[in-house]
Amino acid sequence: MTGAPDSAGALAGFTVLDLTQGLCGPYASMRLADAGADVIKVEPPEVGDCARALPPFVEPGPERAGPDGGGGESAIFLALNRNKRSVAVDLDTHTGRYLVRRLAADADVVLEDLGPGRAEKLGLGHNRLKADNPDLITCSISAWGEQGPMRDLPGAELVVQAMAEYTRSLGHIGEAPIRLGADVANLNTAIFASQAVTAALFHRLRTGKGQRVAVSMLRVLLHMRGIMWAARSDPDFWGGFHLDHYVNPPEHGYEAADGRLFFGLRRASSEDFDRLMIDLGLVDHIADDRFGNFGRDAAPLGRHVEEAREVWEEAFRQRSVEELRTLIQSAGGDAVGFNDYPSLFEHPQIRALEVTAEIEHPTLGPVRTLRPVARLDASPATIRSPPPLLGQHTDEVLDAIGVDAAERAALRAASVIA
Amino acid sequence: MAAVTGILAGIRVFDMTLAAVGPWASKLLGQLGADVIKVESPEPEMSHQIPPKVKGTGVLYISANFNKRQIVLDLKDEADKAKAYRLARHCDVFIQNMRTGAAEKLGFGYDDIVAVRPDVIYVTSTAYGRVGPMASDGGVDPLLQAFSGFTSVNGPERPASDGTEFEMFRHLAHLDITTSSNIVEAVLQALIHRERTGQGQHIEIEMVTAALALQHTKLAEFFATGTQPRPLGSASTITAPHQAFQCQDREWLTVGVTRDEEWPAFCRALQLDDLAHDPRYETNADRVAARTELATTLAARFATKPAAWWAHRLTQAGVANSRVQDFDTLRHHPQVTANQHLVEIETPHFGALTVDQVPWDFSATPAGPVAAGGRQGEHSAEIRAELGLDDDPDGSAP
Repeated sequence: MTGAPDSAGALAGFTVLDLTQGLCGPYASMRLADAGADVIKVEPPEVGDCARALPPFVEPGPERAGPDGGGGESAIFLALNRNKRSVAVDLDTHTGRYLVRRLAADADVVLEDLGPGRAEKLGLGHNRLKADNPDLITCSISAWGEQGPMRDLPGAELVVQAMAEYTRSLGHIGEAPIRLGADVANLNTAIFASQAVTAALFHRLRTGKGQRVAVSMLRVLLHMRGIMWAARSDPDFWGGFHLDHYVNPPEHGYEAADGRLFFGLRRASSEDFDRLMIDLGLVDHIADDRFGNFGRDAAPLGRHVEEAREVWEEAFRQRSVEELRTLIQSAGGDAVGFNDYPSLFEHPQIRALEVTAEIEHPTLGPVRTLRPVARLDASPATIRSPPPLLGQHTDEVLDAIGVDAAERAALRAASVIA
Repeated sequence: MAAVTGILAGIRVFDMTLAAVGPWASKLLGQLGADVIKVESPEPEMSHQIPPKVKGTGVLYISANFNKRQIVLDLKDEADKAKAYRLARHCDVFIQNMRTGAAEKLGFGYDDIVAVRPDVIYVTSTAYGRVGPMASDGGVDPLLQAFSGFTSVNGPERPASDGTEFEMFRHLAHLDITTSSNIVEAVLQALIHRERTGQGQHIEIEMVTAALALQHTKLAEFFATGTQPRPLGSASTITAPHQAFQCQDREWLTVGVTRDEEWPAFCRALQLDDLAHDPRYETNADRVAARTELATTLAARFATKPAAWWAHRLTQAGVANSRVQDFDTLRHHPQVTANQHLVEIETPHFGALTVDQVPWDFSATPAGPVAAGGRQGEHSAEIRAELGLDDDPDGSAP
């Protein structure tokens, strides 16, 4: 396939045909694109990826829109689609599906989230595509898994979180559920999907064989809780956060003079602990039974944490977060302040890590984006191109598979492509 | 250990990891078929002590160390150190998640390992990176939750003037395992690069960057608007309706309409057909803007019938919905059992355990099997004999 921007990434030279929409599939394919793959994103011609409809919207020019938006480009879409090319093809038409099969014949990977069995019904299932491309890798993403009574039900972030009992680790027991704000059902699944595709590519390099891989959001969230499942199997006693998380009250950390803080005393020795208690003016509690095990029993994750909270806070309120961080560190512990987004991006550590970059968008100007996570010194991930406009690359991509200008005009007139 | 024929068959991993992040990453590599050798110091690591325990061993240590072989080597002892270098020569991948500088101090930094194994894929996993004022800080899940902004988008809906409340996710391993999965993805990329070029490399990963990546969509809101996205209880800032509603039987039902074409079906399921034509709620952006008003109407409707009825109606209409599950119901839920999302395994030391299934289903190269966790140093003699670690008694190697 031509037209892929140059990249030194590990996946340079591989082509991924991406039929997914929303958050999960597009984030997975963006991770593959960051690593150097040429990702061709197939979108429905009229509205495009459903994530294009998610607020807030970024308006053209220097002005930024509020949450009610209108026009502009979805900030969510922009965050999940850099380094890709967009082709607008209607999968609801016979010809559209034929074009996608042609594209799949030249691809190394097809990524889809159409729902269990649906790709097969559309003639886009692994076995059908394999006929024209024997070593193809297909990755199917589903909400609930490909078997079982819920297989055909769509998923949604909160609904998967609730099914996986994630909401029980937030809020108060018996009260209104609280969601985990980060879209973990979607994004953690995306990481595993990208991982599965990468593993399958490695296998193909060694053996020449493709295969089909499947991931589901429910499976992933249950995997993320693996320690808890083992803990519940046959514990020697009932204790520790893996078992107590759902009966405990909400955890907001500890109040300091200028913010909130969280800490641990993992490596504190007897001497460290005594010095810390003296420095904090808590000498009376050195011999306090609740502060046993060099303070660890009274610190977060300790068994007397709730009883000791007020004692710590009385001392912490007199000192700044930074002062406490230094003090607790010098006593063999760790402490950090809580950040929200404005304070996080002001923080010298986050500045030092250079976690964001700007990409020049064709209509919006510079758009801020998070850099890829891992730094591979010999085959680095790169940010090479902005999120595409809908159908921005339809012509060049179809041209490369031999659909000429006259044919494209006819397909456009019939609304098969855009 | 029984032979594993997964994707990473023939790949050997030197696992010099502690606690959760590193061990979980190498466990996943083991589940993909790699021969993972966990090198432990004679002192038991902290995760043995974190409650609860199963048959006397910390459950974190058990779960994070499946699919490995375990050897004890005292890296501060010269003879053992020589054995460890000999082991490193046999290893394609080296993973460590010690504090910045600690592995180098022991003589097991990237430069040391590349000297004995030139094409090594070496992973340095830290909490906050190797630069900046916090480069040498240690970090575990709750500290990273606090620092990374992860807690700033959780909690009940409150007025913005009240400031940010910072509610922690009380499952204190999510960011650990998120970092682990980033490590595995990077190692697989590096293996592809090595397969194509013969070249190894150094991979650096920080927990904080992994934590930010998990907030991609929330940070996108912040980058676009310049303001902190507010927590909204169970509701979403980008799609509506997408929240929990309390039903007549006081049960909470979560629902999610994330695409415009699902909205009319949702309205029909609730027997509120007029809403589907209400111009205030026509598009997702309209519904997000009018979320509070819409939620009031819907809450009144959900309160008229039990959760079972609405779940039935919404499922028939093809709209995402679920009750908040409890652990034991979930463990035996037909959706979980039909897909084997969790598995029960017999272990030699810890009895029968329910454990996480591998997160991927490969059609041609089944991952796993899930091999039971061992004990500290359980395979020391076997590994020393197999890889000749005791050879070269004059200590001239490396």
